[in-house]
Amino acid sequence: MSFVQNFPCFSIVLCMVAGILSTPMKGKQAKNLTLVVVTLVALMSIATLGYVIGTGESYTYMMGRFPAPWGNEIRVGILEALTATVFALVMLFSLLGGMDHVFKDINESKINLYFILVDLLLSSLLAIIYTNDLFTGYVFVEINTIAACGMIMIRESGRSLIAATRYMVMSLIGSGLFLISLAMLYDITGHLLMEDAHEAMIRLTQSGQYEIPLLVIISLLTVGLAIKSGLYPFHSWMPDAYGYSTISSSSILSSLVSKSYIILLIKIFYRVIGFDTIITSKIVNVLFVFGLIGMIMGSVSAIMAKDIYKMIAYSSVAQIGYVYMGIGLATEAGMAAAIFHILTHAITKSLLFLSAKGLNDASGRKRVYPALQGAAFRNPLAGAAFAVGSLSMVGIPMLAGFISKILFATSALGSDPKKVLPTLIVLSVSTILNAVYFLHTVVRIYTPVGEPGEFKGVRIHMAVGAAAALFCLIALNFVLGLYSQPITDLIQQGIQMFA
Amino acid sequence: MSSVWLIIPVVLPILGGALLSLLRLPDKKRNLFLEILVLVNSAIAIACICNRPTEELILFQLTGNLDFALRLDGLGSVFACLVAILWPLATLYAFEYMRHEERTTSFFVFYTMTYGVTMGIALAENLVTMYLFYELLTLVSVYLVMHPMTKKAIRASRTYLYYSIGGAAFAFISLIFIIVLGNTTDFTYGGVLNLVKIGGNTQIMLFVYLMAFWGFGVKAAVFPFQGWLPKASVAPTPVTALLHAVAVVKSGAFAVMRLTYYCFGADFIRGTWAHFLVMSIAMISIIYGSTMAVKETHFKRRLAFSTISNLSYILLGVTMMSPLGLLAGLSHLVFHAIMKIGSFFSAGAVLHQSHKEYVDELDGIAYRMPVVFTAFTVCGLSLIGIPGFAGFISKWNIAAAAMEAGRDIPYAYAAVGVLLYSALMTAVYILTAAVRAWFPDQGSDADALKGVQDPNWEMKLPLILFMVTVIVLGLGSEPLMEILRTVAEGSF
Amino acid sequence: MTVAYLLGAAILLPILAGFLLLFTQGKWKNRTVKCLFLFLVFVITTIFSVKLMLVGDYQFPLWKLTDTLEVLVRMDHLTRLFLGMTVAAWTLGGVFAFEYMKHEQKEDRYFGFYLIVLGVLIALDHAGNLVTLYLFFELMTLTSLPLVLHNLSHEAVMAGLKYLFYSVAGAFAALFGIFYLYSHGAGSMFAEGGYLADISYTGSQGMTLLVLFLMILGFGTKAGMFPMHGWLPTAHPVAPAPASAVLSGIITKSGVLAIIRVVFYTAGADYLRGTWVQYAWMTLTLITVFMGSMMAYKEQVLKKRLAYSTVSQVSYILFGLSLLNVSGIVGALSHFVFHSVVKNCLFLCAGAVIYKTGKTMVKDLKGIGKEMPITMWCFTLVSVTLVGIPPTSGFVSKWYLATGSLETGMTGYAWAGPIILLLSAMLTAGYLLPVSILAFFPGHQYDYEQVQKREPNLLMLVPMGLFTIAAVVFGIFPGTFMNYLQKIAMTVL
Repeated sequence: MSFVQNFPCFSIVLCMVAGILSTPMKGKQAKNLTLVVVTLVALMSIATLGYVIGTGESYTYMMGRFPAPWGNEIRVGILEALTATVFALVMLFSLLGGMDHVFKDINESKINLYFILVDLLLSSLLAIIYTNDLFTGYVFVEINTIAACGMIMIRESGRSLIAATRYMVMSLIGSGLFLISLAMLYDITGHLLMEDAHEAMIRLTQSGQYEIPLLVIISLLTVGLAIKSGLYPFHSWMPDAYGYSTISSSSILSSLVSKSYIILLIKIFYRVIGFDTIITSKIVNVLFVFGLIGMIMGSVSAIMAKDIYKMIAYSSVAQIGYVYMGIGLATEAGMAAAIFHILTHAITKSLLFLSAKGLNDASGRKRVYPALQGAAFRNPLAGAAFAVGSLSMVGIPMLAGFISKILFATSALGSDPKKVLPTLIVLSVSTILNAVYFLHTVVRIYTPVGEPGEFKGVRIHMAVGAAAALFCLIALNFVLGLYSQPITDLIQQGIQMFA
Repeated sequence: MSSVWLIIPVVLPILGGALLSLLRLPDKKRNLFLEILVLVNSAIAIACICNRPTEELILFQLTGNLDFALRLDGLGSVFACLVAILWPLATLYAFEYMRHEERTTSFFVFYTMTYGVTMGIALAENLVTMYLFYELLTLVSVYLVMHPMTKKAIRASRTYLYYSIGGAAFAFISLIFIIVLGNTTDFTYGGVLNLVKIGGNTQIMLFVYLMAFWGFGVKAAVFPFQGWLPKASVAPTPVTALLHAVAVVKSGAFAVMRLTYYCFGADFIRGTWAHFLVMSIAMISIIYGSTMAVKETHFKRRLAFSTISNLSYILLGVTMMSPLGLLAGLSHLVFHAIMKIGSFFSAGAVLHQSHKEYVDELDGIAYRMPVVFTAFTVCGLSLIGIPGFAGFISKWNIAAAAMEAGRDIPYAYAAVGVLLYSALMTAVYILTAAVRAWFPDQGSDADALKGVQDPNWEMKLPLILFMVTVIVLGLGSEPLMEILRTVAEGSF
Repeated sequence: MTVAYLLGAAILLPILAGFLLLFTQGKWKNRTVKCLFLFLVFVITTIFSVKLMLVGDYQFPLWKLTDTLEVLVRMDHLTRLFLGMTVAAWTLGGVFAFEYMKHEQKEDRYFGFYLIVLGVLIALDHAGNLVTLYLFFELMTLTSLPLVLHNLSHEAVMAGLKYLFYSVAGAFAALFGIFYLYSHGAGSMFAEGGYLADISYTGSQGMTLLVLFLMILGFGTKAGMFPMHGWLPTAHPVAPAPASAVLSGIITKSGVLAIIRVVFYTAGADYLRGTWVQYAWMTLTLITVFMGSMMAYKEQVLKKRLAYSTVSQVSYILFGLSLLNVSGIVGALSHFVFHSVVKNCLFLCAGAVIYKTGKTMVKDLKGIGKEMPITMWCFTLVSVTLVGIPPTSGFVSKWYLATGSLETGMTGYAWAGPIILLLSAMLTAGYLLPVSILAFFPGHQYDYEQVQKREPNLLMLVPMGLFTIAAVVFGIFPGTFMNYLQKIAMTVL
């Protein structure tokens, strides 16, 4: 066994240990520790990814060497390693980009608490990604929820408390449904390890037993995770949660947390229930329809939003819609597109939140549009970053968003003929809507303040870390936009490893 | 020439523009720098066209069979050549026009970048590359519309942005279909569709074509997506003239040509319902544009409406789905560019020298600005299609194409009728302005124009050149037609 | 090639001289020198034209717009007829204007455009194919526009625009036909007897007839044919008198020329004979003839009355052509010449009256014959000619027209034609002769004490006189001329 194989396990444990270590620390020290840990995790994930690409096959790793059903297993394939890498990187950039706000927004005595939550969140994210055991998955989903909730309300303003409560309620409903479905699954298959459960599932479907319970399981599972990831119409918690928490939290929550549930869902689809069973269950069609509606409704709400963070938050609703639409196409290409979009969205959404923060700082932190006029001249890097992020979301070639769009559209052509035109037309309409709210804002931030009565704002300089974060995210966007082929290849290989 | 050269006309202006924004030169030096840059770029472009590199130049591999690549073929050469010739002249004009404006440097930065992007559209080897430059064109040119930074300009720029991005979003659908159902995404005369793969989905393909026609047509202001163009005439005149008469809108028309003849293939569409529909769209746009131009009294907006109708002339030629039709479209593409830029520059010169914006303020102005108005009158007569001027030749070509198409599809005869109706309307909206200018009513206020005179040579030179070109091409355009004919037959 | 140079000179000389005048507006110190220069141009142009007419028939491409579009020139009898009439009328009208334009402003501009139009008309008369015809037709419209709106009153400018838009609309209708014919293998060059019946022509008959009708209607706009006549009574009277004269006398006739070229040199009389086009065309001309003279009868402003008269008279010519037989054509061509002469003269007379007295209404002309006897004598003589009282020239042409009409044997039309001609002749008498009567017999209330001689000078009298003599001489000795026309008619059928 190669040493690298230990890395996934190490990184999960490392995060938890860091969390525990941070408890007695001061805010600054906790921050430094967290940054080091996140960087280490990113490096280890890259190493793991390299290893898995090198061997060309996945491996399972027994924690503590206890065999199932007593032990915990994690499974590492290309897809897991890739996601972990991107998540860790985005986490790092989000923290760097929003660091100054963390110290401003949060009561000094609680700053170390914030970093504990971050550590916990990362460990739970990694665990959700890597897990090969359904129940472990559930446990970390709950940890994830609690950590996320804490990150929202740590700002301790009235609205963030309300937002956290809402988030908590919705999330718990989601996890509750997920738990019920797991229980039922365990009941009819007798297994919690994914491979074993899958084998049992194949036997059941072949013999035709438990048809209805199976359907219930699939539905509950899907709905539960869909609620947690904020698929329309279960998105009501999103705008407040993203809009009123400190910016690093918003960025991490919108880019990573909700996406981790989708990754888990995809993993369960493939590795437990079996993709063919999913297709015959028609649940994908439901996801498809709600995905499409979400794409439109999210954008419409974003257009109507009065404040830049909420606009970006609503845009997430639309983007989640894209992802579910991709899953709903019920083809391997559609799934690959959905996963690619998860990555695209992770890097773009964090870019947008961080740059919006930069612009907002340069405009007296008023959040409303009129104040943002000319903000790009007061904070050029944030302006450029916001423009790049927006253009990527709109789907301008050379940026990551364009590739997702192309992948979605081409995979649509290979799917059920009935889905072709709806997908393409909604894709186009949603592009236009994206253009309306994103580019409107871009135009506004690049409109110089002319008339005497207008709000002028202040010219600000960004911290080195924040600037570097924005810079890297912009670069990542271009990399995904211009050299997407290796990554799409990886995703495809990863999906094949699932089967 | 090696195909590596192709990158230069695209990238040089973009880099040059970026450099300019960093240098912060004083006005005089900046102008010199720009003019040299633009001239050098045009020279390289024209050199490339004369010694055409045959192989392609791949810039980036996107995914699988998708790449960003440049190649120079006949159709591209025509457009590239047109742009390369007009840009230095327009830049010269812009120096003088923009002298008293603010934020001129950022204006010229984008103005120059637009040159590169337009070249990119001309040189794009496949649909993806063209789509890329098409989107970029929207983005770089949107600043130019909002440059006056008035509320109106900003609103206009937003409208322009939404329309263009929206159009591209629908054109995107066709891009996907071509990628999936085509033999290749590279432009090939006669189309690239793989009929076996399409199988029974012909109707869907036609629907897709229609959406793409509209999508790319948004830039060419086809009905009902013409709304942005008259609004965008708030932009400074060099922009309305060069971009909204040549670069941007012609890119739309050019894209439709590529789409029709080089992706779907004229044979695929000829005679289908989609063919009827696109023909009708072009006709409606022509009627709409020319009628609205008559109603409009704002000088530049009137010309903008005229552009709407004239762009659809090009599209009308294109929708005849025959080499003759493509020839007609191409010749109007070239000729309209010259005469419309000439008339816009005249309108701009009026605005610049006298601050008169409305047609009914032009009484007798021709005697104050004889050069400008001679140019306007010549370009205007050419727009109407008076024989002896360039416009007549292209209209003749369009009508000939329509007549030829009419043998199989009698509906095409209606196109000729529309053409003539529009010519009549053109006569009304051009000549009312010209007659006013040359033959003022006796009752008109002569003092209103006191002190108005012709602009300086930087503005006059382009005008005179355009005027002469219009006449020369009107009197003897056979050499040019020869080239365009080979292009339209796909053998260049 | 010398012919080509000669032709080029004949066309370009007046045009260049015109431009020279336009560019040197207001810089001519000495008016006499200017008039001499103009006269010289007229004379040289006339000499060139006459030389061209004597060269004999020729046809060659002058210039190529594109491979398919060439400017082709052609000299045949019809060209000679129209060319001769044009230069003659233009020279005399020009001479008249030397004096008349003294009381108008910006005469340099007037003369400039006057010369340019002459050049264009010479080219138009030479047109050897449809494209060339269309080209110079449009240019004629545009260059003659400044003549119409010369005095720049609001009324004049509006009238000018009306003239412009009607003409352009008509020309575009014709252009539709040209498009159609060209794209079906016709239109390369004119040929006597037409060539649409040839096998090489691929157009369908129904469509061809439609486009021919459109062309007749379109070119007929210039000739003031119903329903496109509306511009004529508005535009002709507002122009300065010598301009009204040539507008009515010559420019309306270019519409006639174009229709002849279309009907007899492109389509062929046989192609149209008996079709709905012939009936429709004939009906329109008859309506125009009657309506024009009725309107003239009702009109009280002298120049407007003359303009309505033009509407009616030019349609005589078109009616003759629509008969599609020898007598009809002869009648039409002769009426073309006579009417040109007469209408030029009438407008010049009206101009002389305006110039000297400023009177424009018919009722104001009471006793004017006593003040300007020579002018009014000219007026009266040519009026009689136009009415068609034998042995004047008008009678000759109308005789041919009536004969032609009867020869067609078309039910109804064969008789309706002569009857309407007769009615119109009576109306013509009714609107022209009272002017003379009022002028010479003002009645007993007229105060003879106040009569003062106001005869204009020779510059005005000579053109009027020459026109009058021409009108009378043609009437008395029509023989040779009619034979010549007969020859033309035979060849074109």
